[in-house]
Amino acid sequence: MSDTPDAPVAADEPPRPNRVDGRRLRSERTRRLIIEAYMALVRETGQMPTALQIAERAGYSVRSVFERFPDLTALRIAVTDYAIAEGRASGVLRDLDADRLTRIKSQVEQRGSGCERWLPLWRVLSADAAHSADLQQRIRMIRQLVVMRMEMMFRPELSAVSDDTRKKIVLALEALLDFESWARMRELYGLSFDEASAVWVKSIDRLLPTASSGP
Amino acid sequence: MPAFGSEGWQNSPEAQLSDAASLKPPRIDGRRLRSERTKQLIIEAFLSLLRDNPQMPTAVQIAERAGYSVRSIFERFADLNALRVAATDYSLAQALALAPPRGADGDRKTRLHSQVITRAQTCERGIALWRVLLQFADQDETGQLKQRVARSRETTVGRMELMYKPELSTLPDDERRQLLIALEALTDIESWARMREQHGLSFDEACEVWIHAIDRLLPTIPAVESAAA
Repeated sequence: MSDTPDAPVAADEPPRPNRVDGRRLRSERTRRLIIEAYMALVRETGQMPTALQIAERAGYSVRSVFERFPDLTALRIAVTDYAIAEGRASGVLRDLDADRLTRIKSQVEQRGSGCERWLPLWRVLSADAAHSADLQQRIRMIRQLVVMRMEMMFRPELSAVSDDTRKKIVLALEALLDFESWARMRELYGLSFDEASAVWVKSIDRLLPTASSGP
Repeated sequence: MPAFGSEGWQNSPEAQLSDAASLKPPRIDGRRLRSERTKQLIIEAFLSLLRDNPQMPTAVQIAERAGYSVRSIFERFADLNALRVAATDYSLAQALALAPPRGADGDRKTRLHSQVITRAQTCERGIALWRVLLQFADQDETGQLKQRVARSRETTVGRMELMYKPELSTLPDDERRQLLIALEALTDIESWARMREQHGLSFDEACEVWIHAIDRLLPTIPAVESAAA
């Protein structure tokens, strides 16, 4: 559909949608392609890419990159926001009302897949976080999201203990399910996805208390 | 007892000379000693700077803190990576010396407390250097930093195997391995740092988290413990 004023309009045509700013759309698309190029490069190399590499991969000039992002830190923050949004969209809570073992397995499967997908980006962002308060804030937010998810998945068990004990268990779970914990199982100990998942499932099962029987 | 059974030999000038030689302390190479001392002071300056500010210090900063010239640093270390490797070796040796295994024969509670406190103290002292190690390990073409990181992890796991032997020995091999991997993740140095820096826990509170979690992760050994009692 054309968005020019001269485009013919049929009498019985439905109400015309708000005028679409093509220039802005194209700019947004360029932005997204630059972010995706950054993420693809990080996944391939595990290193922080240069502006030139990003521009080449995205099919734009270096100037285009800096027209949309004032510096590479701003780009990294945009990449993080994009990743958080994608992670939230793909990490829908499943099996929330299922039995204990199903919930543990569901949580581990989701978290393991998340670590597989986001570990390279996580490492690059974490390595650079000391130089940016915004990046540090995003990293904290990611950790909070991970913890919130665990609290929801294991609510029956966590609600059966005192606040103090719950806090201790959640902190232990956070350490256990950390990105680097997953990475060590896969890279250092050479475990397969299923083997690494089995370590987490067993450990979570030991860490969690028995759920309260309920009313 | 004499090396040779002859009294005559013992009284001979050769024997007296030999005795005198054995009593004489080995010749000390003062120049080498001074150089070693300088090396150590440079390493200590590097570690002290890291404790003040957890970023890799520059050669100028290290030289200033140690009280030497930048040239002195590079006369003793080929580059800053060599200094990082030497500082890691120094710290690993220091950590082992300061944290011998204590209470390995104690009951479960004693062993848990002892291992957690020792590990926590090591984390507290070593976090800044650890972060620099991880930051530079990938860039180190010699592979020496990665080797140190791996050795440090092996030491931690080895210590847990020793301290939790009664519990771990009740498990089949694959379960024992799984549990050690989980314990290592739980007591990782960054796990400690998060509790202290992000969650604002005191040293004792953070120790409590680890003790509680390890106690839940380890299997119970009622038969053995009651038999021992």
